[in-house]
Amino acid sequence: MTSSACDTASPRCSSMMEVCEASSVSLREFGCEQSLLSRPDGSSSFVQGDTSVMAGVYGPAEVKVSKEIYDRATLEVLVQPKVGLPSVRERSQEQCVRETCEASLLLSLHPRSALTLVLQVLHDDGSLLSCCLNAACMALMDAGLPMSCLFCGVTCAINTEGEIITDPTAAQEKESRALMTFAIDSTERRVMMSSTKGSFSVHELQQCIAVSQEASEKIFQFYRDSVKRRYSKTP
Amino acid sequence: MAAGFKTAEPLEYHRSFLKENCRPDGRELSESRTTTLNIGSISTADGSALVKMGNTTIICGIKAELANPTVEAPGKGYIVPNVDLPPLCSSRFRPGPPGEQAQAASQFIADVIESSEVIKTEDLCIDRGKLCWVLYCDMMCLDYDGNILDACIIALLAALKNTQLPEVTINKETCAPEVNPEKRCGLHIHKHPVGASFCVFDDSILIVDPTAEEESLSTAQLTVVTDEEGRLCSLHKPGGTSLSGEKLQECISRATARQREIQKLIDKVIHSVKTAQ
Amino acid sequence: MKDTPLSNCERDFLLKAIEEKKRLDGRQTYDYRRIKITFGTDYGCCFVDLGKTRVMAQVSCELVAPKENRPNEGIMFFNIELSPMASPAFEQGRQSELSVKLNRQLERCLRNSKCIDTESLCVVSGKTVWQIRVDVHMLNNDGNLMDASSIAAITALCHFRRPDVGIQGEEVTVYSPEERDPIPLSIYHMPISVSFSFFQQGTYLLVDPCEREERVMDGLLMIAMNKHREICSIQSSGGIMLLKEQVMRCSKIASVKVSEITELISEALQNDKAARKAGGRCGFAESMPQERITALKTDETPVETTDATERANDIVQRAEAPPQTVPSPVVPVPGVGQVGQQNTWGLEEEEEEDEEQEETRMEEDQDEDEESGGGDVVEISDSEEEEVVVLHPETTGKAKNTGSSSHQQAAAASQKRQKK
Repeated sequence: MTSSACDTASPRCSSMMEVCEASSVSLREFGCEQSLLSRPDGSSSFVQGDTSVMAGVYGPAEVKVSKEIYDRATLEVLVQPKVGLPSVRERSQEQCVRETCEASLLLSLHPRSALTLVLQVLHDDGSLLSCCLNAACMALMDAGLPMSCLFCGVTCAINTEGEIITDPTAAQEKESRALMTFAIDSTERRVMMSSTKGSFSVHELQQCIAVSQEASEKIFQFYRDSVKRRYSKTP
Repeated sequence: MAAGFKTAEPLEYHRSFLKENCRPDGRELSESRTTTLNIGSISTADGSALVKMGNTTIICGIKAELANPTVEAPGKGYIVPNVDLPPLCSSRFRPGPPGEQAQAASQFIADVIESSEVIKTEDLCIDRGKLCWVLYCDMMCLDYDGNILDACIIALLAALKNTQLPEVTINKETCAPEVNPEKRCGLHIHKHPVGASFCVFDDSILIVDPTAEEESLSTAQLTVVTDEEGRLCSLHKPGGTSLSGEKLQECISRATARQREIQKLIDKVIHSVKTAQ
Repeated sequence: MKDTPLSNCERDFLLKAIEEKKRLDGRQTYDYRRIKITFGTDYGCCFVDLGKTRVMAQVSCELVAPKENRPNEGIMFFNIELSPMASPAFEQGRQSELSVKLNRQLERCLRNSKCIDTESLCVVSGKTVWQIRVDVHMLNNDGNLMDASSIAAITALCHFRRPDVGIQGEEVTVYSPEERDPIPLSIYHMPISVSFSFFQQGTYLLVDPCEREERVMDGLLMIAMNKHREICSIQSSGGIMLLKEQVMRCSKIASVKVSEITELISEALQNDKAARKAGGRCGFAESMPQERITALKTDETPVETTDATERANDIVQRAEAPPQTVPSPVVPVPGVGQVGQQNTWGLEEEEEEDEEQEETRMEEDQDEDEESGGGDVVEISDSEEEEVVVLHPETTGKAKNTGSSSHQQAAAASQKRQKK
């Protein structure tokens, strides 16, 4: 009885199998438009394949007394689903996006003030959380808020054959056996946020992180290009 | 003096301990609090468990009810987890509808159940398309001192292992289900997911099993859930400062050790009840 | 978050301009702003831009039981979400006066006008019907949300296709779009709301007020009308008195505007239908403007993964292996187990005053322990299985390792010293 618990666990053996040379690892075509709404202080809509999220940022502005924090700004994130009212699932997405933004924003520069980030889902065709993160980052950039680093979201799926698929569509997500979304920061390419579904080995996880870090390069390059396009004299 | 220092500069107070590789409550950085488990704490529930990790106390009760399966999944029952953080467990919670933390915790537990396949929902089906079990897993926090996610998972797993469902037969003539409360059998637990939570201090120092105070001072939190085969069921890091793959690997190693520890604990307690009977 | 208030001089300026028959954006009195209708990837998803005002409508359907008094009719449900994205004044999840007003008006415009054939939504009489849900999300509020919402909602309804169903006796099967083509809703007519704002107690009138104009207006008249010039609903708010002639004049203007907008909607629907038939990509992703400097798009990009496996191997290999042995848990009584050094079953108090009490309590506990250890459990709970017995700190401490417990005490002692 006592020894059985030790015997069953063998983390090493799993690393030998399931080594997968992912063949078709790519990001769907993606795009972004900034400053498309007149009311918010910063806005963006991010499109990954058919998945699309719109983001609006207000602030820094006056904060409600009950939410006031004396040494930094209060960030509120709202995720609006396309159909119906926000549910528990949206709450957990809000938590993920909020804590990621809090880590990258320099909130202590705006004490006793409020920031609101609203994310409206326009279409969900897989990799929704990563699209939300990307839209959020672009909106924060558009609002001109001071940040210590940028971040981007990458979703990886592992299908039944053990292959890694980046930026999966809804159909690929459904068929996958595990699904992981990471937020990667722009300075050291480390993991800021992680949210997973399904079970997977340690080795698969590390592989997905490595793939996400590679994919993040492409997205950060896109961020750079879009800023260059906006602010250079000759577009 | 020390008490004043603690209130005025809580972060500095903690840092002064961390510098010496220990924590204000006398633990080492990678040391969990004492975990005490009691099963069958609620006699009226179908399964229950009480877990105490340091001061954090979670009680989990499982209520099984008969219901109709959904149209989309006629051959499956379902599990409805709910984490309740009532005002009694800490002054930080207000009465009223569940707050963000409680909702996020409920969603996390639901994800862990689904990802780990601790119970196959097919097992809960009694008559395909007609009748199935619904397991309402209510986890209530009695004392909040950080790291409720770990405590919730342990309480849930122990309570599920403790659950005894009555036998149900379907009367051929009336087509009505008949419950035989005399004859009960346990649930089939496929996996034993156990979580380990960590806090990151000053962007680099990792500590295990944080207290409420450590949680509020930390710059990031993460929870790793592993099962007995060393597979990961969840790597939940809702944000905060970033961590490298190597650091995450450290957390995973610690989580696998914790899983064994807790599984042993649960097994032993279940065993002790069986032999006592 | 609070909305920025309008200053007095801004207010005066706006009113003065209106008196001079001038509008901020250079429009004439009866002009609408530019209307742009685009569709999403799904059926029943529609975006409407009215100048800078932007709304999105999404139609969805679900099989439900019908209402008892109308067993043969489908159910229509409308919901206007005043998302905080549209304006900082809107709050999440709170029913404001404005949202009630807009929802009520949309219901009157689309449900009470019976523009949708609800009887065709019946699947099995008295058992199952379709519930059609229309969610309208405000994305940007630059005035006249009502008109934009009504255009978006009716266009989305026209665009929507519900899945086909088959009925065998009581069994209802829903066919996926691949099996059978989805069916459009049957819509009799398209009511469209047109808003008029009044200034200076009804002296001046403007069509399609923008946000600034809405702030200084005295009253609002909303007329919902279809292209057959039938009024579906009419509502005046803001507490202004209008003359019969004014209402008549407004309804005449409305009829012109409605026929223009209906034309535009049909054209947009036609274009989308052609685009979908041609099999080209359609939807939101395609409607992104390419020429703007704020927009950028990239094609599908491959990701280098050659060294990902290596890097992962590296990290896994370099990591410390978890210890193979784990501390054995202590089970003092059946049903209770413990792992870890410290005992926190509420016994350890560091305050010295408590020590005496503590000792007596410990003795009691010991008695309890012995009793339960003896097997004759007779007390407190009705549970046959076990009860929580307060653990004794020393029994567990000894059972574990004395080395670490002494370390504990040392730590506790040092803590105490610090406190003093």
